[in-house]
Amino acid sequence: MVRAVPAWLRGLAWAFVVLAGLFLLGPLAVVVGVSVSENQFIAFPPEGFTLRWYEKALGTREYVEAFWLSLRLAVVVTVTATLIGGAAAIALSRGRQAGAMETVFLSPLLIPTIIFAIGMLMLWSSTFGPTSFATLWLAHTVVTLPYVIRTTLAVLAEADPFLEEAARTMGAGRLRCLWHVVLPQCRPGLIAGAFFAFNISFDEAVLSLFLRSPGHNTLPVQIYGQLEFSPDPTVAAVSTLMILLTIALIMILDRLLGLNRFAKA
Amino acid sequence: MTARRETLLLFAPGLALLALGFLLPILRMLMLSVVGPDGITAVHFARFFQDSYYPSILWRTVRLSLIITVLTAAIGFPLAYIMSRVGLRLRLWLVVMVILPLMTSVVVRTFGWMVLLGRSGPIASTLRDHGLVGRGFSLMHTETAIVLGMVQVLLPFMVLTLLGSLARLDPRLEEAARTMGCSFLQSFRHVVLPLSLPGLVAGSLLVFTLSASSFVTPSLLGGARIEVLAASIYKSVTQTLDWNFAAAQAVILFAGVALVLIPYLRLTARHG
Amino acid sequence: MTRAFRLLLSAAAFGAIAAPALAAEITINSFGGAYEEAHRKCVIDPFEAATGAKVNIVTAYSADAFAQLRAQKDAPQYDVIHFSGGQEIVGAKEGLLLPMTPQMVPNLADLYDFAKTGVATGEGPAYQIAAVGLVYAADKMPAAPTKWADLLNPDYSEHLVITDISNGYGMIGMLMINQVAGGTMDNIQPGLDAVSKLLDQGAIVLSKSPEIQQEFAQNDAWLAAYASDYAYTLQKAGLAVKFVQGEEGTPASFITASLVAGRDNVELASKFVDMELSPEAQACFSEALRYTPTNSKTVLADEVAASVVYGPDATAGLMRFDPVTIEANRSAWVEAWGKTIAR
Repeated sequence: MVRAVPAWLRGLAWAFVVLAGLFLLGPLAVVVGVSVSENQFIAFPPEGFTLRWYEKALGTREYVEAFWLSLRLAVVVTVTATLIGGAAAIALSRGRQAGAMETVFLSPLLIPTIIFAIGMLMLWSSTFGPTSFATLWLAHTVVTLPYVIRTTLAVLAEADPFLEEAARTMGAGRLRCLWHVVLPQCRPGLIAGAFFAFNISFDEAVLSLFLRSPGHNTLPVQIYGQLEFSPDPTVAAVSTLMILLTIALIMILDRLLGLNRFAKA
Repeated sequence: MTARRETLLLFAPGLALLALGFLLPILRMLMLSVVGPDGITAVHFARFFQDSYYPSILWRTVRLSLIITVLTAAIGFPLAYIMSRVGLRLRLWLVVMVILPLMTSVVVRTFGWMVLLGRSGPIASTLRDHGLVGRGFSLMHTETAIVLGMVQVLLPFMVLTLLGSLARLDPRLEEAARTMGCSFLQSFRHVVLPLSLPGLVAGSLLVFTLSASSFVTPSLLGGARIEVLAASIYKSVTQTLDWNFAAAQAVILFAGVALVLIPYLRLTARHG
Repeated sequence: MTRAFRLLLSAAAFGAIAAPALAAEITINSFGGAYEEAHRKCVIDPFEAATGAKVNIVTAYSADAFAQLRAQKDAPQYDVIHFSGGQEIVGAKEGLLLPMTPQMVPNLADLYDFAKTGVATGEGPAYQIAAVGLVYAADKMPAAPTKWADLLNPDYSEHLVITDISNGYGMIGMLMINQVAGGTMDNIQPGLDAVSKLLDQGAIVLSKSPEIQQEFAQNDAWLAAYASDYAYTLQKAGLAVKFVQGEEGTPASFITASLVAGRDNVELASKFVDMELSPEAQACFSEALRYTPTNSKTVLADEVAASVVYGPDATAGLMRFDPVTIEANRSAWVEAWGKTIAR
């Protein structure tokens, strides 16, 4: 921490972080606890210890297939949304009408996804016929776009516009300028946006529920579909695996790419 | 290539995606709001306002979204500030802590809350043991439950957006302010807050719109007796199969949220 | 605009758009979990073995499946669609479903008459019936409930679970409360008033069946109007719950199988429905989840027969709230219900 922070505030900050952690992770701790419980229901406190829900989750072909589909979907959605949204944000940051336009770009978040899902399904079926992976890809990209645009714009708003000008004056071409000056400037925003895009797509259930095609089940839809007739802790085990996977993924990314670079921004 | 053309080129894919992939399908659905058995009609809107039932659902939706946004900012800002001022390793772990709730399926995460807030959960039983509440007390199916659950999932949006702004803020600026005699709070108010305003605006916009349009968490935690508008829309689409009315409700929700957002954007634009 | 949309998306999809379904393939919806397991064991596996065709299963509950069917009426993806909440009536009216004849589905002939009233217009036949009655926690209730009027007993209210009428069984439960409170299908106000009173006395409203199950497992629920299939699921999971039929009558909830209009492998789809109506499949379903069979030739093992409504007389004794009236009033009722329970 900066030296400028008084000691009493430091203690307060720690207390605050711990409380926030409890609030954020408490419900997740319940899920983890339930996932190893011998109880047949999602009930707490857990009774005994068993790994059979994990066995069941990993042994169920549907869960595994749904996981891979969700992962594939989230990856392509993240890439497309970050590219398209990042470009749009750079363009928006230059315009004078940025405020009005970015509100337009926020509109997919304002409409409940069920309305978008049904509208999309009607339009897609009358135009293309049966839905497919591409339908999900398109719909998820549309709803993740606003996140990328917002986070990138927020960062660009504080960027130094003269930097780009300076680079241009010094003879850098448009593309080089974009690559070497503008892009590094919006990197933290792009990364945060990409992160959201990935998470939103991975956790999205409503669009996927209505737009999926036979054989294309995403993980959230698969979990939702199991609840009515087998509310056992398998879903908790699946979620715990997701938590572990997220942590592992971040660790690996950190090792390979050095997320510190992002953190340093 | 001129600057103008480059800007247009960067802008085009996003605009095309929004127009064709979003506006077109959404218009197809929203048009139903003015369609009746005998052509164009306003009956679906009239039905919404015929008595206080639906307007009160709209009001609850807007009110809860505002509360959720303010709380998210109140928790998110200090958290993001702390994150921006600690070592990189610790910052990474704090980021993990904040985003983990996003990585568990919404249904399962909500089950966690149901257990914690339910009649037999730790909160209710502690309060009961101290004789503070009655036998049937439960935090489930209350507006508090909705707010808690929503703040938990929306916090990452606030924190990460703010972190984008705060992490770029040069700590030396703050130190300079301090050396020049500002107290911590003064330097915070005059240096940190103004510079992080764009992040705060962006974050609260995301949080507000998301809480106004989401329905899975509110309907599971709030229950059938405390409805929000998006849940009512879902019901009209899948249960009562009244798509015209669903579309009308969506238009009204859109208008209601826009009414709140436009003054907010004006205000912040002036400050920016 | 539409053309531009088509172009853009075709480009984006680069051939990812699904190839047209092979003729030897049908797509159906099922309800997930233990239900889907039973569906697979009793119908799907034998069907695939007998015909060599492939069955794609999409896990989709009735309401979601119907919304999907209606939105994609230009290009439906299901061949056979299963509903448990009366959606087939709306579907048939809107021309989304295909009428069936005994030539297409020979087993229709052996079905009880009430299970196939609307097949000529497209409403699929009922292939199983869930009996709705009282589910109670046998280890907690002071005395076992015997009649629907017991739901109104103020002593139980704090432990009573009322199911929201957005849930199919909830609708039936509400109509039954309405009946014992003196209402009719033309006037549900007495039922709403009774529910309002129960809520004031501490009853809670839940909409999703896992919530109801959790309420029994964890939160001290004693009593609910609920169906035999879920009650059996709870029992299998080790909860001390029991299911009884109320003295005033046992309303039936039909689970139906309909053919979807506008699909090109009707023959295979009809064969699938026919198999669902066969005595073997129905007996298998009854054993797995305690459903009442609708095929009069179904033979159940004694042990199974003891715990389901079975046989021509018992089955004929089931009540059914007129589904057409329900559909005609659903929107108004749901709104009135919402106003009643709103805090």
